[in-house]
Amino acid sequence: MPALPTVPLVDESTRESTREAVGVRELHASEVPWITIVWNDPVNLMSYVAWVFRRHFGMDAATAQRRMMQVHTEGRAVVAEGNREAMERHVEAMHEYGLWATLERSPR
Amino acid sequence: MRGFIAVDGGFEALVEPEEARVLTSLAAQLQSLLGEAADDEALSEEDAAVARLLPDAYRDDEDAAAEWRRLSRRALAERKAGFAARFAAALAEATAASETTRILIDEAGGLDWVRAIGDLRLVLAERMGLHDEGDEPSEEDEGAAELYHWLAWMQDDLVGVLDAGWGE
Repeated sequence: MPALPTVPLVDESTRESTREAVGVRELHASEVPWITIVWNDPVNLMSYVAWVFRRHFGMDAATAQRRMMQVHTEGRAVVAEGNREAMERHVEAMHEYGLWATLERSPR
Repeated sequence: MRGFIAVDGGFEALVEPEEARVLTSLAAQLQSLLGEAADDEALSEEDAAVARLLPDAYRDDEDAAAEWRRLSRRALAERKAGFAARFAAALAEATAASETTRILIDEAGGLDWVRAIGDLRLVLAERMGLHDEGDEPSEEDEGAAELYHWLAWMQDDLVGVLDAGWGE
């Protein structure tokens, strides 16, 4: 999965001088991380879901298996993180595969 | 039907005419449903199977979900109809045949197949009222249930050969 951006979100209460000192810059809206979530459904085969994760996200077999089991047992799993456009593309790809996926802002 | 094996140029299966006809008929119904759904957003509210084939991309943001539907829903429906159409096209010869027919698909064809089969299973599950983990088809849905399990076998079989082909 893509790593988080190294730039932290800005705390509005942070004093300007401190922010300058540590080199913090405000994140543009397009940089705020979003996540792609895959939801459990009783239809799609476990073998198929794990294969889709390997194929589309390039996950290794163990990671894909773990994420698939997380969807299965917890009802959902975060499968990608990044900017909104990238997450929309992932969601669309998951829908093409018949998986139930949504995107939302990453909780912080 | 004999499941898929990797051969030169793709994956090969053996299909009986009756099986091919059933699959072709299911694919035609799926294409017709997707065609209707592409032009009619309200169908997602009337038919849970459509909502499942073309889900919302946003869960808790109705504005974003509506915008997404406006921009992406039709194209998704059309792509899915394309998967079903190519799945049916690959079966055309076997459908017209009077004996077991060899079907050869390449990797792109394999992707069409697993997706079309998956979509067929989503629709069948809705029609049989399987909504939650552990729901079982009722006795009067025996025929649909048989198809549903057969399609599962076929998808699993195909994922296995696609997976093996992927690493080469």
